[in-house]
Amino acid sequence: MKIHVNDVPLDVAPGTSVIDAVFAAGYDVPYFCSQEYMSPIGACRMCLARVGAPRKDRATGEWILDEATGDAKIFWFPNPMATCTTQVMEGMVVDTLSKEVKRAQNGMVEFTLVNHPLDCPTCDKGGACELQDRAYEYGTGESRFVFDKRHQEKHHALSEAITLDRERCIHCKRCVRYFEEVPGDEVLDFIERGGHTYIGTLEDGLPSPFSGNITDICPVGALLDSTSRFRGRNWEYHHTDTTSLDDPSGAALRIDARTGRIERIKAGLNDEVNKTWIDDGTRFGHEYADHADRITLPMVRKDGRLEPVAWSEAMRVVRDKLGGVDGTKVGVAIRADATLEEGVAAQALAAHLGTGRLDHAPRPAASVLPGGAPATLRDVATSDGLLVLGDPTHEAAIVDLRIKDALKGVPPADLLPHGVPIADLRLTERMPRKTEILTVVAPYRTDLMKHAGRTVTPPAGGEGALLRALLALAHARTEAQGASDPGKAADAALAGWDDAVGMSAADAAALLDALAAAEAPVLIWGGFVSADPDADAAARALATAVGAKTLILGPMANAAGLERIGVLPSHERYAYDPASSEVRAWILGDLDPAQDPTVAKRFADLDALIVHAAFENATTALADVVLPAVTGYEKEGSTLNAEGRLLPVRAAPVEAGAATDFTGVVKAYGEAAGERLEGRSVRSARRVLKKRLDVDLAELPDDGRLLPPAPAAARGARALPARRAATGSALVVPSLVRIEHLDRNPTLLREHGGPTLRMHPSDAHAHGLTRGEVVTVPVGGIPRRLVVAPDDGVPEGTWLVPTLPDQPVGLHPLDLDALRRERGETAEVA
Amino acid sequence: MSGAVTDTVDRITSRRDPRFEVTLYAYVGVEGAHTLDAYLERGGYDAARRALAMEPGEVVDLVKASGLRGRGGAGFPAGVKWSFMPPPDGRDRYVVCNADESEPGSCKDRYLMEDDPHQLIEGMMIAGHAIQATTGVIYVRGEYHHAYERLRAAMEEARARGILGRGVLGTDVDFDLILHRGAGAYICGEETALMNSFEGLRANPRLKPPFPAQAGVYGRPTTINNVTTLASVVHVVAKGADWFAAMGTDDSKGIHHAQVSGAVARPGVFEVPLGITYREIIHDLAGGPVGPAKAFIPGGTSCPLLPFDDAHLDLPMEYAAMANAGTMMGTGGVIVIPQDQCIVDAMYNVVRFYAHESCGKCTPCREGVATWLPKMYQKLLAGLGTPEDVDLIEDMVKNLRGTAFCPLADAAAWPVQKSLELFRDEYEYLAHHGTPMYPAKDRWSA
Repeated sequence: MKIHVNDVPLDVAPGTSVIDAVFAAGYDVPYFCSQEYMSPIGACRMCLARVGAPRKDRATGEWILDEATGDAKIFWFPNPMATCTTQVMEGMVVDTLSKEVKRAQNGMVEFTLVNHPLDCPTCDKGGACELQDRAYEYGTGESRFVFDKRHQEKHHALSEAITLDRERCIHCKRCVRYFEEVPGDEVLDFIERGGHTYIGTLEDGLPSPFSGNITDICPVGALLDSTSRFRGRNWEYHHTDTTSLDDPSGAALRIDARTGRIERIKAGLNDEVNKTWIDDGTRFGHEYADHADRITLPMVRKDGRLEPVAWSEAMRVVRDKLGGVDGTKVGVAIRADATLEEGVAAQALAAHLGTGRLDHAPRPAASVLPGGAPATLRDVATSDGLLVLGDPTHEAAIVDLRIKDALKGVPPADLLPHGVPIADLRLTERMPRKTEILTVVAPYRTDLMKHAGRTVTPPAGGEGALLRALLALAHARTEAQGASDPGKAADAALAGWDDAVGMSAADAAALLDALAAAEAPVLIWGGFVSADPDADAAARALATAVGAKTLILGPMANAAGLERIGVLPSHERYAYDPASSEVRAWILGDLDPAQDPTVAKRFADLDALIVHAAFENATTALADVVLPAVTGYEKEGSTLNAEGRLLPVRAAPVEAGAATDFTGVVKAYGEAAGERLEGRSVRSARRVLKKRLDVDLAELPDDGRLLPPAPAAARGARALPARRAATGSALVVPSLVRIEHLDRNPTLLREHGGPTLRMHPSDAHAHGLTRGEVVTVPVGGIPRRLVVAPDDGVPEGTWLVPTLPDQPVGLHPLDLDALRRERGETAEVA
Repeated sequence: MSGAVTDTVDRITSRRDPRFEVTLYAYVGVEGAHTLDAYLERGGYDAARRALAMEPGEVVDLVKASGLRGRGGAGFPAGVKWSFMPPPDGRDRYVVCNADESEPGSCKDRYLMEDDPHQLIEGMMIAGHAIQATTGVIYVRGEYHHAYERLRAAMEEARARGILGRGVLGTDVDFDLILHRGAGAYICGEETALMNSFEGLRANPRLKPPFPAQAGVYGRPTTINNVTTLASVVHVVAKGADWFAAMGTDDSKGIHHAQVSGAVARPGVFEVPLGITYREIIHDLAGGPVGPAKAFIPGGTSCPLLPFDDAHLDLPMEYAAMANAGTMMGTGGVIVIPQDQCIVDAMYNVVRFYAHESCGKCTPCREGVATWLPKMYQKLLAGLGTPEDVDLIEDMVKNLRGTAFCPLADAAAWPVQKSLELFRDEYEYLAHHGTPMYPAKDRWSA
């Protein structure tokens, strides 16, 4: 559509909002209530402009012409229009510069400031405040309001992690709309009316795993991240745009650091991945990085005690210790959230030592690389038939939000010259959601099930049986179509169905129908399926049978990347097993297997135990050499997210002494050994990766680049022999909050509560357990300190425990007889 | 409005015209007239039977031909509004009766619902048939408890006799009603806020478009009409479009209700033909002003006031004439303001009402109408004002006009603006002297 913004002629798509047309033309209008990816509502009335349009003569259908000029006559709307809620029309004329518009904007700034405190010098938002900027640009500079401003609560803890200053709120409704529109958790609303309106919650806190995003979108200093309140001024922060290593979503982050410490984490913008949202575990879970007990220097065991030494000395000890061990008896394992560059370094180290015992952990029994038709997050957001096996909210939180995008049925907007549309008029408040396109399968009630039209609860570990049954049914139905009596054959296909898999035959048939009818079906699965190679094989076959793309959620941020570049044992027999008696020396990156007393006992007997870690733990306590590690916020490198997108990881300026990433370990080792190893630096590792992946990771754009799936032949060569699925009555479940850091994240701990042992209330009753009680119970050998949380969403006989890097998702043995209660210790259960 | 009577000479524009007879209000105030038996006895539901025998489109055309315009204040042609409904798709569609009569000065709907509830139910049945909706919603103002009870009883009676429910009146048409009480918010009279409130949401107005006909109650096609509009439909069907159009003026046809309050001898609700002059309403029907009057509000407090002079008293009660005079016919709630009433105090009463009723959704209304404007009036009335404050009110009100999300801010701003235009001397006197030109005795609305 051809329109004019001031003097600029513009051709815009029908349906575009006038505010986006104004920005596309290079002009500015102020706004507070509109927000990228959310519905425009026209509440703040700040984006007023004069708008006019030509009209057609009803009788003739011709444009009414201006007699003086002969052009189409412009009929101006009688009132100034809110440009965010006005659609462009053919021939529209927009005026944002005239005196009338200026007057309307001045007036609106004045109204907005009537009740807004002028406390910018002490406000955390000062310097980064939309209202402050707009008041300078569009206000008159003085106030005619001489009365007392509204007095309301100044430090209201909306939750443990978010503080609300009700006086600063300008009622733009971004936060209220956000909860309904984005995560679909309606936990916040306006209360009272007129001048008394304030936001509040009727629940205790903000029970949503995505609550922190409201601190990013608040245009003023009303909603603040409690981890960073009063910690610094906005212009003092050093901003680092990076990628989250918290889960395999690959969400963009902005880390704000000051004087060597991370003060807060905000969401970054990646239109293809997280848009502008991140989960609370990622946002508030950074306090551990600044914890006082960080390991900042290498340490060597002398006379049974770890003594700080220089890197060079530590590495001489490492070299000498490993020198006495048969190279093939050395194990090297790094955590699955290590960068690709660290992966290359680990490979170089293992090659140098001559061992095939290289691995990343946790690594599920089945591959986390999708087959021929990988689904991107955009595919998920535009899918019309989703089968989800697992708990994406906790496995890769952004996937949860992109699934919810698909339920709205509004495909992602095209980017405009100024970026994401400010007011996408296709989005509205309280849109109807197409829940019928979503099926969620999990052995307990997950958060995402609230949004699903169909939910299936197989027995724990029963995903394989369910998937095989579905696959058999899909094949039988295909064959039935060719039969002489298709109806009878289809019924026959259903006849052998066993409801024990978790769903009825009719539901299974309806699910297959829905997937078959979908134009762009997507199958998503996570750790429960990957823990069982048979389930994984059935899931892949089912995806092929119904023509669905696949998205696999790996256990940690870069599990897919490390598998892709081959940080793997040379033989499955050499897979990471800390309890193995064949290994004489271990080099471990960020892993803590000695939490398991059996492993600890084995480790006491090793020839060498070298641990690269950020914090002291059960394994460092046994180590011969401890090397200081950086956290995921301090690494330079790259990661591959679940959809196969290479994303840049950048180091925030955090004071961490002599800590390095794993490339630093390899560099120091090489120096001690007199070898220049590949992967001795990020640059060196990238040279290797450029050859292998044909991508220059140093040149990776901020929003990353999709890596084409590995050729089938290469995958075949790397095909891993099947491992048996584990059994047990404890189901280790994914956790959006990283439990291993929780004790050092005070804000997150208060907000989330401690790690929980969830069970059906009747099981709790049978074992005399009460809600909030703190217990220690061995799970798969590791004694876990957990808070009892009875939950009727857990099937009887199953006990849910959140995952640790050393305790992957899936079934584990649970020793309830060894359960120990901590007298008098109780904790809040979130 | 083709097919309607066009000969204006013959139109009934006075209540003294012997051809005029009270119709909608014929049984208001009559003991026992609210029961179904009484209603049936006087020919009740005959119009519905007749309408149900017609094609829906024919009913819409009939209402279009009658020239009936919305009686809730905005005056949108009812038949045209009905014709906006999309063709049926087999799913729900709604006809909603806006019975949240909250405009200060208006009370016509209340008596219609209390004393003749079946008339409204019949009107809704006809409207429901015309727009092919099977569900009707009556959203009653929360304070109208008696009206609510009467409507509830009437609905029960109608259901028991097969007038509401499946196969109404022995036809194959289904129609039933939901009666919903408001919780005391003026904003719910705004049609989209009403729908939100009915759905159990916060009563904020919705964005338009989509208009209710596209996406209304629960996102389904919906038509919203005022009580009087729906009651009028009964008589349009019963007596014909020509009968209805024979009353009033070219612009505004049919029957309306003058609800006179303020300083008059005989305040009350009077059914009148449109086109009647305000002089006839105030002097003849309401017994004239008690003492000298200086202004009158023609249609509820959101309508700017008019000077109480010959030129304005002789204006006809019609949409166009009021628009030309810089005000609105609104709901027909006429308020007469006596000479010795301080206009600043009177306007403060109006402003205070809108300040209390602002929903808080948009900035100008929440901060201007609900916060700043009443504070300015309080300052003036406390004797603390300055002449600059009067200028500030004038300037602020300019910023309020036409900038808010819904018309509530205009409803507060426009009367203030007009009062400044007509009685600026009183504002300035108060600002200079600290005491009003006409010291308050009792607040006129109290």
